[in-house]
Amino acid sequence: MRPVLAESATARWEAAAARRFGVWLLCCVAVTLLLGFGGLIIGTSSIDTSLHWLLAPDAQSSVVLWQIRLPRTVGAWCAGALLGLAGAIAQGVFCNPLAEPYLLGTASGAALGVTICLMGADAAIGGLAWVGNLGITAAACIGACAATLLTITLSRGVLQTASLLLSGIVTAFLLSAVTSLLLLAKPEIYREMQTFLLGTTAYISWTSASLLAVVFCICLVPAILLSRGLDALTLGEDTAQSLGLSLRWLRLTLLGVVALSTSTSVGQVGIVGFVGLVAPHLVRETLTVNHRQLVIAAPLCGGALLQAADLVSRWIIRPAELPVGAVTACVGGAYLVFLLWRRNRDG
Amino acid sequence: MAEVLENFAQAPSASILSCRDLSVTYGARPVLERVSLDIAAAQWTAVVGPNGSGKSTLLRALAGLIQPHRGAVQLQGRRLSAWSRRERARRLAWLAQSAAATDLTAAEVVALGRFAHSGWLAHRKADDDAAMHRAMLATGSLSWAQRRLSTLSGGERQRVHLARVLAVEASVLLLDEPTTHLDPPHQEDVARLLREQTRRCGVSVVSAIHDLSLALTADRLIVLGASGVVGHGTVREALDGDWLSQAFRTRVNIVEHEGVHLWRPRLESLE
Repeated sequence: MRPVLAESATARWEAAAARRFGVWLLCCVAVTLLLGFGGLIIGTSSIDTSLHWLLAPDAQSSVVLWQIRLPRTVGAWCAGALLGLAGAIAQGVFCNPLAEPYLLGTASGAALGVTICLMGADAAIGGLAWVGNLGITAAACIGACAATLLTITLSRGVLQTASLLLSGIVTAFLLSAVTSLLLLAKPEIYREMQTFLLGTTAYISWTSASLLAVVFCICLVPAILLSRGLDALTLGEDTAQSLGLSLRWLRLTLLGVVALSTSTSVGQVGIVGFVGLVAPHLVRETLTVNHRQLVIAAPLCGGALLQAADLVSRWIIRPAELPVGAVTACVGGAYLVFLLWRRNRDG
Repeated sequence: MAEVLENFAQAPSASILSCRDLSVTYGARPVLERVSLDIAAAQWTAVVGPNGSGKSTLLRALAGLIQPHRGAVQLQGRRLSAWSRRERARRLAWLAQSAAATDLTAAEVVALGRFAHSGWLAHRKADDDAAMHRAMLATGSLSWAQRRLSTLSGGERQRVHLARVLAVEASVLLLDEPTTHLDPPHQEDVARLLREQTRRCGVSVVSAIHDLSLALTADRLIVLGASGVVGHGTVREALDGDWLSQAFRTRVNIVEHEGVHLWRPRLESLE
């Protein structure tokens, strides 16, 4: 009785869907490479100069291209990919298309961690040496993970999604209030904190980009392995359990992945909004996907989005730069307004 | 606990699923109190009763989806908690009351029914494909295999979910309102399908059903009232004992037409 479905219309459709997904992935990779090239030639120098550097590099231009611009664009892609992945998982775990990576209070936790670190170091983000940079990264990660733990503790486990969402909101408000109080006590670090809160890709080095890439690979594995669980969750908790899933184990693991990916991204590029929310939506708008495909496509989309936002932030007021978080907020917000408008129009 | 286990020893050997002294509470509110039942193997058992009598709760407790306050459930003579999740999922299939409208395609939803067989990596084997095909064919949902569930009507979604349950190829099907959203011909199809499952495949079906005429086509009835189980037995026993009137606390008119029992609403007072 070898594959009854293999000969059926379903199997043909599955093959066609797989081809469409493959083409989509190829297009996304092509856009990423194009944006990566843009990341190499857009900067404080003119495009002509950058192209000349590419064609005839000298010692100085090599440093600018390969030690500053390339790690920045690679790091921006990895950070966006982590946010896209976290967004896709968060929306699946909470069965809510408006869920986003910062829902567990990770952003507020990371901000508090960085505030405490800056108060301790009493130094500007830009002026920190690599040790200081690692310090801020670690502080952001610890803050984000602590916030996730606090959220899970407040909701008394992970089985009740409604109380988990509420606990996340409470944690975010609570930690933001503490951060504000600390900033009031030490206003001289406010400017540096602003850089972090608005998000920036300007300080990404090869070390940061490597860290982001390694964490992305680590997070992608359980996300793909557990993606069928996310599919099952869309059928309701009872049904998912009846299929043989342990909801507690599934949610804890996936929320751990969300916490790790978000905290790493926040630690390296600050709080970049909307990428994690918008990337899965963009994928669903263009493809019919299950969660296995979504956890692969959403990172690609998120990476490309942050790369594009990084380019816009560098280009728009050259030679100065806009905070990348402000660009993603503007574009992401506009996109969500468009989705809302279309939903209202279609009833 | 020893008492509960002792009570299980008295379960008839033909019973595939049984519960003893099962009590379930939501917060402080008791929904089921000291319910003891034996579900006959290869028979269709319909659970009927007024709203809020605990039909869904009973099915959820039998499926192991809620932790009873007291008592225990046994599947094939073994406590439900003693089975591993996957082993239990292969033997007990569950259909929820509301058919979720997910963005997955119908084929992907039915494939989830094979989760306990194929596991996390979802490498479908020939057996899985064949089970899916049979289930979709039986429920008439094969033609929507490629469509997202969110684009299907309520009745079509219900049939896809029923296909998912059949694709498990479990020995016990626990169905909470399987005919919800279905038009009368499709309700009839589902009743025929469930009967076929019990007769040809030896599957035991337990389903909560609101439509009394449809419920009376089952082999056995569990009649729940506000104060617990009114009766549990064959349809003939239920009719002879007037369990339905007791459960609904009003006269329930059942008429017999060509050997089929039908519920007739009492509308005389309106004329």
